[in-house]
Amino acid sequence: MAIHAAAPRRRWRRYGTSYLMLLPFLGLFAGFLVWPLANSLYLSFTKFDGVNAPEFEGLDNFRHLLFDDDRFRHALGNTFLYVVASIGIGTLLSLGLALAFSGSSWPHRIMRTIFFLPSVTSSIALMLLWKWIFAPGDFGLANTVVTWFGGRAVEWLATPGLTIPILVLMSVWGGMGYGMVLYVAGLNTIPQEYYEAARIDGAGTWQQFRRVTLPLLRPVTTYVVVTGLIGAFQVFEAVYIVFRGTNNIGGVLDSGLMIVPYLYDQGFTHFKLGYASAIAWVLFLIIFALSMVNLRIGRALKEL
Amino acid sequence: MRRTTAATCAALIAALGAGCATSGTSETKQADAGAPAAITWWSTGGDDESAAFQKAADLYSKTHPNVTIKVQTLAWDDAYAKLLAASTSRSGPDIISGGMTWTIQFGLRGGMVDLRKYGVEQLRAQAQPAQWKSAVSPDGTIYGIPLDMSTEALYYRTDLLDKAGIKEPPKTWEELTADIGKLKKSGVKTPFGIDWGNLDWIGYFNFLYQAGGTFYTPDCKPSLNTPQAERALSYWIDLHRRHGAPTDTVATPDALGTGTAMVYGGNWNALGIDTSKPELKGKWAIAPLPAGPAAPTTFIGGRAVGVTSYSEHIQQAADFVKFLYTDEAVDAVAAESKARNIAYIPPRPDKVADSPFTPEHSAVFAEIIKTGAAAPGCPGWDESASDVAKQFQAAILGKADVKTALAEAAKVMERNAG
Repeated sequence: MAIHAAAPRRRWRRYGTSYLMLLPFLGLFAGFLVWPLANSLYLSFTKFDGVNAPEFEGLDNFRHLLFDDDRFRHALGNTFLYVVASIGIGTLLSLGLALAFSGSSWPHRIMRTIFFLPSVTSSIALMLLWKWIFAPGDFGLANTVVTWFGGRAVEWLATPGLTIPILVLMSVWGGMGYGMVLYVAGLNTIPQEYYEAARIDGAGTWQQFRRVTLPLLRPVTTYVVVTGLIGAFQVFEAVYIVFRGTNNIGGVLDSGLMIVPYLYDQGFTHFKLGYASAIAWVLFLIIFALSMVNLRIGRALKEL
Repeated sequence: MRRTTAATCAALIAALGAGCATSGTSETKQADAGAPAAITWWSTGGDDESAAFQKAADLYSKTHPNVTIKVQTLAWDDAYAKLLAASTSRSGPDIISGGMTWTIQFGLRGGMVDLRKYGVEQLRAQAQPAQWKSAVSPDGTIYGIPLDMSTEALYYRTDLLDKAGIKEPPKTWEELTADIGKLKKSGVKTPFGIDWGNLDWIGYFNFLYQAGGTFYTPDCKPSLNTPQAERALSYWIDLHRRHGAPTDTVATPDALGTGTAMVYGGNWNALGIDTSKPELKGKWAIAPLPAGPAAPTTFIGGRAVGVTSYSEHIQQAADFVKFLYTDEAVDAVAAESKARNIAYIPPRPDKVADSPFTPEHSAVFAEIIKTGAAAPGCPGWDESASDVAKQFQAAILGKADVKTALAEAAKVMERNAG
């Protein structure tokens, strides 16, 4: 009996302060993450206009979203196109940059810093810059360059066909420095002996890259692709800032409408907060499923 | 990762606001009318504008020593969401001001006070009739009243028009297109552009009302299936496709500065051009928009101001909102606006001549406002506006014909009116 009573007390004496110190974090975590998440899940089953009490509607929001909502489908299509293009090109360029500037010499460090800069700059400021670059008429940077080569000024932000390419360009430019740094770290963990051994076996540069570098970089690639994927699916500022000036959210003819801007549009300009929550959960499920697939592929390749 | 943060924030705001709302919409306890009242006013706009409105607030406090009013600025970009969150949690400012139809939107959801109970109807005689109508809900409830006005004018380069042999700015649609032709002949690359609402419903608004059409009938039925609406849309499309108006938006000062001869732009541009483009000094002027086949009409926008239903000092706040229409309040705001060089047009047409613009510009605005029309205060309009604009874009970009675009737009309006 005495032993049983003493055990928790001893445990408390031992770990008590640790738990106490964890409390503020746990409080914040529960209050600002767990609770809002649970609430948003609840709201996704309701009709809620932000002011009147939510009305429970079951799966109606999801049904409407998946089967009746053309704008959502359009947003989904745009987002997939954007994600595939920006992740594909972005990852390739990150790797290319890492291979080019992986050394520890000054020029390499300076180049790495330059390419990494967009990742630490305020994205709002970057987006405003892009907006100026693609300004219409004769005074945007892009048009100035076009006219140097004798071209006619382009209405970049008001041409639906250019919206996704511009978004991809902005994303790749802004994100490749981040991927590059991760790849550089990955490259530096590959022991030089492997390359020496490969060379002795008669492998050329391309074979060394294909048979040694790429496989050993697989964990980095998985990380870069998965985090990039999550970020790209949630693209918001680029659409909101760069294209809203030209028109309401989504750009001309919704050519740049993505899932999160659409969520914002439904929630904060149409007051459909229940519906917006449903969109958020669909987005979560998509990202979750794709990340799982990605990790599975990574693991499967490792086992080969 | 940064992108994730923004999205998370948006989601958090939504979720937090939602959680607070479940507490329901109970009546807020009213403080004693005689007790000291500290009133806050969330003003959508810039800091300079808040400072100008603060002058009126300070004047009010002089005669009502018990009441202090603090004007706080909300930036346009996130004002709507913040006001929604305040409305949801039923805690926040006593007075709000923002987009012309916002007070109706919040009011219909129980977030605003019906100001008729506090005698604002007597202000109707002083206000611009169309603008007043647009602030009033279809059922007659007044959740907010106009706080200021914004309108649109034809900005033109006098030197370029002279060179093309055009003596005075175009007064009708026909003259406008004829002048565009003359300007092109004289070597002007971009004779015409639209700054405000280039591919948006505000841009179409002017042509629609000038052609004698409207978005809704007086009893709020969508009315875009009319010959007037078709004529207006066809003319607007021609301006873009046949007469080379850019589809992308160029701010008025930049457009004039880079050689666009005529621009439809908002009244606020009139204050900034001489300072931002000194080389244009003396080479530009403004005039009312060219009239359409039906009438000379111009879009009138602006902000509405109203009292929140969860305020503890509704009585005092409503009294102050009424005070904003007095001569002394309007004059105080105008004087401060002039000192800060901000574009303020008072909500009272008889006071427009004293607005912070040059006397010539003020005279033009005063004339425009006489025939001005305001956005429909019909239910569902705010929700429809962006989808309606997409239909116009489809027509301008050649993806839909005029009739189909208008029919689709009307369908959207009908659906949201429900």
